[in-house]
Amino acid sequence: MKNGHGDTTDFSIIFFLCSWGPHAAFQALQDSATQIPSEIKMVRIPCSGRISKALLFKPFEMGADGVALAGCETGTCRYGTGTSTAEKNVEHTRAMLNLLGLGENRLHLKTFMPEDSEGLLQFLGGFCDEIKDMGKSPVVPSPEAKAPSEGVELTKEVVAAHDIYACQDCGKCSSACPLTLVGKPFSPRAIASNIISGNVDSAEVKKDVWSCLACGLCYDRCPSAVNFPEFIKDMRHILKEGGSRDYLAHGGFFQSLMRTMTQKELRVNHWDWLPADIEQDTESKTMFFGGCAPYFDIFFSGFLGVRTSDILVDSLRLLNFFDISPLLLQSERCCGHDLLWSGDKENFLKLARLNVDAIQESGVEELITACPECYRTFTHDYPTEGVKVNFKVTHIFDLLEDEISKGAVGFKPFDRRMTFQDPCRLSRLENRSELPRKLIDRLKPVEFREMQDRAGGAICCGNSAWTGCDSYSKALQVKRIRQAQSTGSDLLVTACPKCQIHLQCAMEDPFLGEELEMDIMDLTSILAKTINWE
Amino acid sequence: MTQTKEQTPRQEITITGFGGQGIVLAGRILGKAAVLGDHKQSTLVQSYGPEARGGACSAQVIISEGTIHYPYVRHPDILVSMSQTGFDKFIGQLKEGGTVLIDQDLVQPRGLEGDVFPIPATRIAEELGRKMMANIIMFGFFTVITRAVSMEAALDSVVGSVPKGTEEMNKKAFDKGCDYGVALLKSWEKKAKGREGA
Repeated sequence: MKNGHGDTTDFSIIFFLCSWGPHAAFQALQDSATQIPSEIKMVRIPCSGRISKALLFKPFEMGADGVALAGCETGTCRYGTGTSTAEKNVEHTRAMLNLLGLGENRLHLKTFMPEDSEGLLQFLGGFCDEIKDMGKSPVVPSPEAKAPSEGVELTKEVVAAHDIYACQDCGKCSSACPLTLVGKPFSPRAIASNIISGNVDSAEVKKDVWSCLACGLCYDRCPSAVNFPEFIKDMRHILKEGGSRDYLAHGGFFQSLMRTMTQKELRVNHWDWLPADIEQDTESKTMFFGGCAPYFDIFFSGFLGVRTSDILVDSLRLLNFFDISPLLLQSERCCGHDLLWSGDKENFLKLARLNVDAIQESGVEELITACPECYRTFTHDYPTEGVKVNFKVTHIFDLLEDEISKGAVGFKPFDRRMTFQDPCRLSRLENRSELPRKLIDRLKPVEFREMQDRAGGAICCGNSAWTGCDSYSKALQVKRIRQAQSTGSDLLVTACPKCQIHLQCAMEDPFLGEELEMDIMDLTSILAKTINWE
Repeated sequence: MTQTKEQTPRQEITITGFGGQGIVLAGRILGKAAVLGDHKQSTLVQSYGPEARGGACSAQVIISEGTIHYPYVRHPDILVSMSQTGFDKFIGQLKEGGTVLIDQDLVQPRGLEGDVFPIPATRIAEELGRKMMANIIMFGFFTVITRAVSMEAALDSVVGSVPKGTEEMNKKAFDKGCDYGVALLKSWEKKAKGREGA
């Protein structure tokens, strides 16, 4: 769509325009040849409610300076709930822009009646001025995707590197794979043999590679020790480089968010929301790396009401309890775990370097994290992918176990019956399932009972790296929650923000929801709630 | 030139427990730390009796800047108790305002007012896999709480006094005791400020 004026400008503003009310107003402007600011790039859409958070955010990833969404006034929506959905989406995305340091005012929602063309013109003019006052977005779009690379050779290399030929086709993987077990037509060994025999381009392989949970259960059981998760990770990279489609959940919002964070100039406000009583110290040699929980909470606030940033607050309270006032990195970015595991190695490396540079510049000697994915990524994937880390990385459970075992610390009785969902990154891939259990053993719940599948053999929460979510993921979550319920527990303890999000998602099911309802709490929060000096 | 008793900084310490807990060894390590590490004067008197069979047992240590003329402890400044009988027997001798350290699982500090420094030394030793190291754990705890000897002197003395080949294990036990002491003091400090929880 051209707006009739040839003049170019540095600024670009994406204007999502609902086809009903606002478009009529816009058309009236066009019909009367009114000059519309040339920065405005109009995208006509069927309903403002259809512009998801992923779509609202995508332009920012691509370098837009502002985004406006025009919908119909509440009550006049052609589809009933479009405007209220749009309000929520915009509210959440604005909060996200604040955290990112882009500023919420780069995104606006405005409603128009069909005859309100004057108001529309004023709004557009005003918005353009506002954006110009704020200046260009620091996000510079990454260059167009390279020409698809030749996947066949690369695939051969990856197959050789992980020695996939060692697969004996015995089927132990498919008898362990949680996806296969909930009935999904999916089998690790089938993917392996398909790829070995050169069928990388088959539709099944291209889809199945994105379905894998990379939970590592098959690797755990494989008699030939074929490292399937690492293999899948590299295959996703090859497929992505080759230009084939990925299967990202939530419209690819999180990947989009992480790619935006690769911009060095971005002034991220990662910790602005923190309660004032948390003690931090800018001179400290110990840094706490929080992870993406604040973003998750905004994104899911509309329907899950998850509060994963409580994990960060409670971790900090526990550190403070032991007189550790850590340094917090305001410019903290995502560790890149999900980009790496969804095939975007290039941007993963950018994030890794930005994080490591910023951390090293601050002069800290130890990095503490409460997120099993951050922990795995810092200790394992950064060095493997060639990003050197010259500080010690500690999972907060290690630190707590260490401090608590010094003595004089006890726990108040905790009036719940608990069971525990293992995070696969910590319990299986890092083989540390004993670690959370040591802490659990110190707690004083009414009862602690393990689930049928536990520790190194635990079942995934249903999804990983925001890819390949489908009805089978839900089936898996339902199975897991029922397992948790059958222990007789009334509290499901987790140790990863994503376990919490995914299991809670299953509880939102309109048919099974109430039956599945179970309280979820992170282990860190229980520790912080009940710990005391003796 | 005569010095009166009051002018010479000195500390009298009684360590009590069962025979076999390593009470006398603990006393010897303490004395060696004071003499070899801190270059002070020290004496040790060990009580004889049926201790080898598990009866009450004690070690009396004096640490002083000046000459010690009389090695017996009549009114200890510090009483370390690793058994109830030992505690009951010696608590009456404690100097007013003296410091009491106990193994909290083995001793009930009955009839005592004022602060007692408790540590589950035997339990910690069991967790480490060697019950017999309770004395070294207690000694680490003692060092942190009383500062009767310096940290380096205490550790050197432990390493130099235990059987060959067990140095690392004993060092670990000593550290455990120290850690517990530090944690306990921190705990009391936090409680005094009314900040018991996280």
